[in-house]
Amino acid sequence: MIPHAPILAIVLPLFAAFLMPVVGILARRRGIKRAREWFAIAAVLVELVIVVSMLPVVWGEQILVYQLGGWQPPWGINLAIDGLNLFVAVIVAGISALVVIYSFVCMERDTGLDQYYTLLFLILAGMMGVALTGDIFNLYVFFEIMCISSYALVAFRRKWQSIEASIKYLIVSSLGTSFILLGIALLYGMVGSLNIAHLAQKLPLEPTSAIIVPLALFVTGFGIKIAMVPLHMWQPDAYQAAPSAVAALFSGATATIGIYAMVRVVYTLFGAFAIGIMLAALGLVTMVLGALMALTQRDLKRLLAYSCISQIGYVLLGIGLGTVLGVQGGLFHLFNNAIYKTMLFMIAGAIIYRVGTSNMDRLGGLWKNMPVTAMLFGVGALAISGVPPFNGFASKWTIYVAGIEAGQPVFTIIALIMSALTLAYFLKALNSIFLGQRPTHLKNVKETPLFMLFPIVLLAALCVIFGVLPQLGIDIVRPAQEALMNSGGYISAVLGGA
Amino acid sequence: MAGMTVIVRTIARLLFPFTFIFGAYIVLHGHLTPGGGFPGGVIIAASVVMLFLAYGIERAQKRVGFLHAEVLESVGGLAIVVLGLFGLLLGITFLQNVFPLGTLGQLFSAGNLPLLYLGVGIKVAAGLILIFYAMLFAFRGGEE
Amino acid sequence: MDFNYIIAMLLVALGLYCLLLKRNLIKIIIGLAVLTDGIHLFLISLGYRAGGIAAIVSGEMLSDLSGFAARAVDPIPQALVLTSIVINICIVAFALSLAIYSYRHYGTLDPSKLRRLKE
Repeated sequence: MIPHAPILAIVLPLFAAFLMPVVGILARRRGIKRAREWFAIAAVLVELVIVVSMLPVVWGEQILVYQLGGWQPPWGINLAIDGLNLFVAVIVAGISALVVIYSFVCMERDTGLDQYYTLLFLILAGMMGVALTGDIFNLYVFFEIMCISSYALVAFRRKWQSIEASIKYLIVSSLGTSFILLGIALLYGMVGSLNIAHLAQKLPLEPTSAIIVPLALFVTGFGIKIAMVPLHMWQPDAYQAAPSAVAALFSGATATIGIYAMVRVVYTLFGAFAIGIMLAALGLVTMVLGALMALTQRDLKRLLAYSCISQIGYVLLGIGLGTVLGVQGGLFHLFNNAIYKTMLFMIAGAIIYRVGTSNMDRLGGLWKNMPVTAMLFGVGALAISGVPPFNGFASKWTIYVAGIEAGQPVFTIIALIMSALTLAYFLKALNSIFLGQRPTHLKNVKETPLFMLFPIVLLAALCVIFGVLPQLGIDIVRPAQEALMNSGGYISAVLGGA
Repeated sequence: MAGMTVIVRTIARLLFPFTFIFGAYIVLHGHLTPGGGFPGGVIIAASVVMLFLAYGIERAQKRVGFLHAEVLESVGGLAIVVLGLFGLLLGITFLQNVFPLGTLGQLFSAGNLPLLYLGVGIKVAAGLILIFYAMLFAFRGGEE
Repeated sequence: MDFNYIIAMLLVALGLYCLLLKRNLIKIIIGLAVLTDGIHLFLISLGYRAGGIAAIVSGEMLSDLSGFAARAVDPIPQALVLTSIVINICIVAFALSLAIYSYRHYGTLDPSKLRRLKE
């Protein structure tokens, strides 16, 4: 492990964000082209190395506790990193690295890229902070940093759609974060601590009405961020209006962080009592509604946004089941969802880059122009629908089996039907974009640029690898699942048996 | 924006140094009295915005340009991060104090706290001026 | 004695009402600010202690630290509220910028009308 890796993982993107305007100004003065982009790529790769360097330690059954300013928990703010934290941090760092590489070409026609990269690194710092901190108020602050940067990124192109989407997103999401703050205030009033481990230790295990209220506030607040039905109305607009690179980041990384925060609070803080089966039921509703709404969409990015809602439903279902297999399946699906959803949004971005629209009525027959992209889209579509031998099948299968094992065969049946629906709407999308009649004005469309194709190919390769070797995926997920279900270990590691 | 009448301008010019110094006082005494980087920074930003309103944006822009504010904001942010890294390099953890503590109640005391407040003050003042600019130009600038 | 809690919850309810039912962007933003201020009032009331003193050690307090600890108010909620106020300023500033932009370029403060203007 790199010394001080936990704090460096948060400080480095912050540092890069503050440095970015200076780099931009200097590059303009000196006439250096693309300095910002290379600087961003370098910073994000270093970040990935820092995060990955923590893997051996944490996988060796150890919980890293880093005390800020040398203050002992529960008095000081501390970073506590167990398997789950690191699992999420690796997903976020990896997806962000690919998105920054992808932005190199995808965003080249936009102006104001200083601000774009500053916001991108601020959002990365916020996500890392949420993923690594062990203090609930710290988590809230980083969550807000992440949210505010994401409102600005949604409005980045300043068209009326993006302004409207950003306003909608801002209002709904600020309401959610206010709920989280109120929940924290109630917990503080009850227990008098802000350290997650300390809170978990002091909160009573059986549900009382005084605990249910903050729990409900937390679930609502984080539910808004992960677009859980019925709190999802901001999400399709935001994903459609945001630049494709940003939408890829949101669907892959930000949604993962939302799930992480919710799971951490529900499992570690409150010790999953009655909420478990409710979470699974909410996941089921989310899954069904997301899939049904996706069926009727005519815009590729909107379709992907609704399918994102639907996939998050699977994750919630798996985690809500509360069994070992269920949590494993849910987290594995979270991992897979980050991979293929980012990839699909990147392909949508590539189509917009080359053709200028993502409206499926105006597209068609593009496989002759973009054969590689078409093939990659096929891989993504099959993976997300859970067709073997791709990774979606491995995780969905785990969730199905977990559903039956937990005595909820109805859940499994509904999940299976929704999987078929997913295949249906993705085949429809594949058909209307890449097959069928090609409109004459699309004759001269070229293949996706290589630099844009690189992250997509990498993600597609991951889809196949984890599909062929599902055991590898389960091995990656196991430390996270064990950490999630062992809140006692987390508490004693952070508080040092105190 | 054209600026206001001569009365407003004179009063603003007279008030500006006092407001500014009051803000600086709050920032620098952040470790001793209520207040600190954020309130002080807000007061400094308010003093500058008062000048903007009185003299009109064109004249004020020559003094405190958009670029100045942007660079200052970055400098403030970087100062905080660098101070934290000092603690990491010379001490044990991030943000740990590595400066002499001094005597309690003196201006030069409390280790790295006054320096942190200074960084925060610069960042907040510059950031709020930036927000003011951004609203004036309705999105020419960045957003926190 | 519990007035501040009641008022805090009233403010939250008022903010929620404004946020959910008003159609004017400026009013919605005001609702957001009122909602968060209600939560701030709630938080700050948690740390209140009747007849308490500010949690700043200075001068004569130094010799009697345990007496100071017994009389001082809880400083943590104050720190939390300060942080939250800063965050809220960012959100409100950003929302107001969006409102200004929406009004200047599309001539409306009703977010749902933006769409109808263009189609």
